[in-house]
Amino acid sequence: MNVYVLQVVNGIGIGMLYFLLAVGLSIIFGLLRFVNFAHGAFYLLGAYFCYQAIAWGFNFWLTLLVVPVLIGAAGWALERTVLRRVYDKAHEFHILITVGLALIIQEGVIMVWGPLGANVPPPDVLQGIVMWGNFIYPKYRLFVIAFTAVFALFLWWLLEGTRLGSAVRAGSESTEMVSLLGINVMRIFGLTFGLGAATAALAGVLAAPIRGAEPFMGLEAIAIAFVIVVVGGMGSFAGALVGGLLIGIVQSLMSTLWPEGARLMIYVAMGAVLLLRPHGLLGRG
Amino acid sequence: MQTIKENYQLLMAIVVVVVMPLFMSSGLLASEVLIFAMAVLGCNLLLGFTGLLSFGQGIFFGMGSYALGVMLVRYQLPLLPTLVIAIAIGVVSAVFVGWFAIRQRSVYFVLLTLAFSQMFYFLAYTLTDITGGDNGLLGVPRPPLTVLGVELMEIASPWQFYSFVAICFILVFWLLQRVTTSTFGRTLLAIRDNEIRAAAVGYNVRGFKLAVFAVSGGVTALAGALLAMMAGIAPLSSIEYHTSEIILVMTIIGGTSNLFASLLGAGFYVLSADWLSSIWPRWLMLLGLLLMLISLYMQQGLWGVLEKAWNALRRKPAAAAPALNSSAAETEQRS
Repeated sequence: MNVYVLQVVNGIGIGMLYFLLAVGLSIIFGLLRFVNFAHGAFYLLGAYFCYQAIAWGFNFWLTLLVVPVLIGAAGWALERTVLRRVYDKAHEFHILITVGLALIIQEGVIMVWGPLGANVPPPDVLQGIVMWGNFIYPKYRLFVIAFTAVFALFLWWLLEGTRLGSAVRAGSESTEMVSLLGINVMRIFGLTFGLGAATAALAGVLAAPIRGAEPFMGLEAIAIAFVIVVVGGMGSFAGALVGGLLIGIVQSLMSTLWPEGARLMIYVAMGAVLLLRPHGLLGRG
Repeated sequence: MQTIKENYQLLMAIVVVVVMPLFMSSGLLASEVLIFAMAVLGCNLLLGFTGLLSFGQGIFFGMGSYALGVMLVRYQLPLLPTLVIAIAIGVVSAVFVGWFAIRQRSVYFVLLTLAFSQMFYFLAYTLTDITGGDNGLLGVPRPPLTVLGVELMEIASPWQFYSFVAICFILVFWLLQRVTTSTFGRTLLAIRDNEIRAAAVGYNVRGFKLAVFAVSGGVTALAGALLAMMAGIAPLSSIEYHTSEIILVMTIIGGTSNLFASLLGAGFYVLSADWLSSIWPRWLMLLGLLLMLISLYMQQGLWGVLEKAWNALRRKPAAAAPALNSSAAETEQRS
């Protein structure tokens, strides 16, 4: 039985990282109405920047703060200079331009750091394991769960409790109405895209000590993030959380029960949710 | 007028198919161009003619590859029934995916097709008994084309195979041209341009979308089946997300305003990939750049560029572009 408890805890850890990945995608979609295929690339950059910073001897905590801010700023700048030029084009071009961006970033990463992966050590304080009775668990993974939970609260406050958050949520309902009320929607678009990129990068930094950094982790991540957004409901903060945890737990439980089919079961879970709720668990029709 | 224009596209396609062997040294590379062009036609039918952006074309491509592989390797069926089965499996999987995905619109539809492409990938990865898993299904032969025991055509050598692919390609091109110019095709355009209006007029929008999805699935599966014969293997990569992506990318590079643009897009992609990957391993970076440039500056794709050049040469105003598809960009703008 103990092994299942362990797998559920593992699943929550993976699920919280999935949530971080998916929430940015979901918010960007909710407001800007396009699927950001470069989202996985920001996650990839987060992991590699983390690797590089640690390799240069920077403090992990500083890295955890600086890398997401840096990549968030880059995302904001990209939205302002390039991406917003396609908003008035057909929607396949919203997707295509981010697909192109993702390719450039991925190939750039391979050019700089090579095609092979790299390992990232967790910070000294978080190395080793904790033991409560017969419950044994790596410290770093517990930290990830706690940290992402706190960050999720912060994000929730940002979206529900601030003027910016109100504008984002209102903009998801009707961009036109929000701009009629005198809010600069384009500014909100840029900030939202930057915020999305920063959360993806944060997920990358946090994931690096667990799974290392390798050039194709972005592709893998974005596929999962899409599933979570579909399962949880597009544009929904709570949906990303519920979807992320559900998929994380399904994946890690299945990896004990049926290792070969663990990834497949994620998609079976998705199919089941869609049959019951076509708009996702918390999505609105 | 329209019929002349459409026939002139079929004629151009035939010319390309006939002329390609004169300029290319590799029969397999030439076959690859036509095979991907066929898959792109299937994607274009959805994107250009119905307004459905499908990120799941790799599903049908891969299913076609595996169906052909299993039938030829395990059951040693003759070529023709094998291809029919591959097409049928493509149609069935398209109906399955479409049944879920078509209930949703625009971006949700895109995400669903993409999620399903991942699902089928892991299905193929897991069912190693049928698909060979990571190694792929090896030893796919190229049996001769026989009808009622009479051998009509050998397809073993690269150029023989090219001829067979060329015949399939022209047949598909002709068929899709018939489809797009039929009443059915006109209804699809109506759905693309204004779905709500089409539904209000009384068309069963979902039914039409599902039907066109099935046609696209069949065409794409045929392309996948041919690719498996070309490569001698039904690889796991043919059902990967990447295959869906490149089919879509070729479609948009070529342009979605007509069927011939698909041949242009596939030819451009396959040939430049073949050339660039041999000189620079990171050539995908150039592709990424090209995709961004197309999104920003040339939404009509290569066809649009050629059309502009042609019009400039003839000193004809660019506004005379065909009215048939010019509304695509306007109607799909963000709401």
